[in-house]
Amino acid sequence: MIKAVDVKRIFTGRGITVRAVDGVSLEVAKGEVVVVIGPSGSGKSTFLRCINGLESFNSGHIYIDGVDLADRKTNINKIRAEVGMVFQQFNLFPHKNVLENLTLAQIRVRRRSRTVAEEKSRQLLVKVGIADKEKEYPSRLSGGQQQRVAIARALAMDPKVMLFDEPTSALDPEMVGEVLDVMKQLAREGMTMVVVTHEMGFAREVADRVIFMDQGKVVETGTPEHFFTSPREERTQLFLKQVL
Amino acid sequence: MNATGDTWPWRLLLAVILLGMAAAIWGAVQKIDYEWRWYRVPQYFFYKAEDLQKAPFDGQVSAIDGQGRVTAVTVTSAAGEKAVLEVDSASVKVELEEEVFSGDAVGFSSSWKMGPLIMGMWTTIWISFVSGILGLIIGLLTGLARISKNFTINGLAAVYIEFIRGTPLLVQIFIAYFFVGTVFNLSRNVAGVGALALFAGAYIAEIVRAGIQSISRGQMEAARSLGMTMPQAMLDIILPQALKRILPPLSGQFISLIKDSSLVSVIAITDLTKSGREIITSTFATFEVWLVIAAMYLIITSVLSQLVFYMERRFAVSD
Ligand SMILES: Nc1ncnc2c1ncn2[C@@H]1O[C@H](COP(=O)(O)OP(=O)(O)O)[C@@H](O)[C@H]1O
Ligand SMILES: [Mg+2]
Repeated sequence: MIKAVDVKRIFTGRGITVRAVDGVSLEVAKGEVVVVIGPSGSGKSTFLRCINGLESFNSGHIYIDGVDLADRKTNINKIRAEVGMVFQQFNLFPHKNVLENLTLAQIRVRRRSRTVAEEKSRQLLVKVGIADKEKEYPSRLSGGQQQRVAIARALAMDPKVMLFDEPTSALDPEMVGEVLDVMKQLAREGMTMVVVTHEMGFAREVADRVIFMDQGKVVETGTPEHFFTSPREERTQLFLKQVL
Repeated sequence: MNATGDTWPWRLLLAVILLGMAAAIWGAVQKIDYEWRWYRVPQYFFYKAEDLQKAPFDGQVSAIDGQGRVTAVTVTSAAGEKAVLEVDSASVKVELEEEVFSGDAVGFSSSWKMGPLIMGMWTTIWISFVSGILGLIIGLLTGLARISKNFTINGLAAVYIEFIRGTPLLVQIFIAYFFVGTVFNLSRNVAGVGALALFAGAYIAEIVRAGIQSISRGQMEAARSLGMTMPQAMLDIILPQALKRILPPLSGQFISLIKDSSLVSVIAITDLTKSGREIITSTFATFEVWLVIAAMYLIITSVLSQLVFYMERRFAVSD
């Protein structure tokens, strides 16, 4: 489903060079859930953003369902419609109500009729547990509710892959659970997911694989069990000691 | 001090200060011995125009039908042709069966006409409106050009803004009319509206640019991540939010535009200001006319402010 080969993203500016993503290779099969962990600044977000083309990369290849993002002929908007993304800061559209947040891209990008889009949206709102808030504006919702709307918004496009960039980091602790529950349900339904998170409980419960990144490189890969019981690298051990 | 407490002492103080200032002005005017002639002003808003009604052909007055203030006079020619002229009853100059010749005065008809103040205000309103709309379009495009990554487009926009903001509007109007207008054979209205639109556009562009840049990057990313194209994201996501945010500075710009439009009077467009100057040459009521003109500008701008205030409240539903 996703295949990344030696992806490099190097930022240069004001005489400083940051190798944000420094030769990452990764394969994610259909239905697989991959959790990415690593210290702040290790390039997790940048790598995730490369996967749906929000960030361009300097070298390497990323294939989504066999289509190469590095190919100039690839229609990046088409790829993005297939790859849902959930952000740390929710990024709901504040001038549109919940229902409009979900229908807009369906109508504009998927060319669905308003009726079809609204029907689809309502189903998803039921699924994420906020069916009663469809006419509210995002500013009236709690953080947890906003993030669940954001997940529903991404799902409304029927994506093949969902990317999550620290979806619970901006939430008050009591709201983390409700968002993780939605993500767990998605994972159980067979959604292909790449999740950047520090919620190790989530990783243990649903992850097929965990990847530890540091300084733009993949340091260690393994099952959640492997990370909890016998991490190999010293950097991994150090990091896990801080988050667990 | 309680913030929700009575405010009447402060209201009273405000009223006293305003009255004091009015009294001071009045006192100052007394000293210079100016004779106020307010009665001369109203006729420049509306006046009664009298039109001489003439017999259209040779013939005989066949009927005079007086009904109150208006009288219908029917003239019939030898060939049987009939013409009905409506004139003021008090002004009828013919009698029944009287012979009239083509061009003879039958009477006067009167009607209310808009005076120069109203006509000037209308000119000011439409010139401001048209150049405001054009300026908004120019400003929007230039603002987008300013955030474009294309060096050429960005550079062109920057030069335009720099040129407009670095030169006086009065000079721009002269250039638009006497130079550009001569080369391209433009009427004074086109030159005036064009100069105002370009002037407003440069300022609006900077407002638009700042507004777009104030919307968090995440909004664009969220829209793009859903597969929306750049133009779709701009139209549906970024611009509506930016517009809401820039409404206050934008309305300030439009109010400036209304006031700045008074400068087009220098290329002989009869706007409110030029009407005022013309009225003064025939009435010498300098003080009265300028005060009236100021009040009329104030009315136009405050209507606009109210409109924007209303729009702001409409936009606030999503806050
Ligand atoms: N647009 C950018 N310009 C310059 N440097 C950037 C940019 N985006 C990210 N970086 C740098 O790349 C590195 C990786 O950042 P990021 O991917 O956000 O890390 P993480 O998500 O793991 O915390 C950091 O050092 C960050 O400063
Ligand atoms: Mg990050």
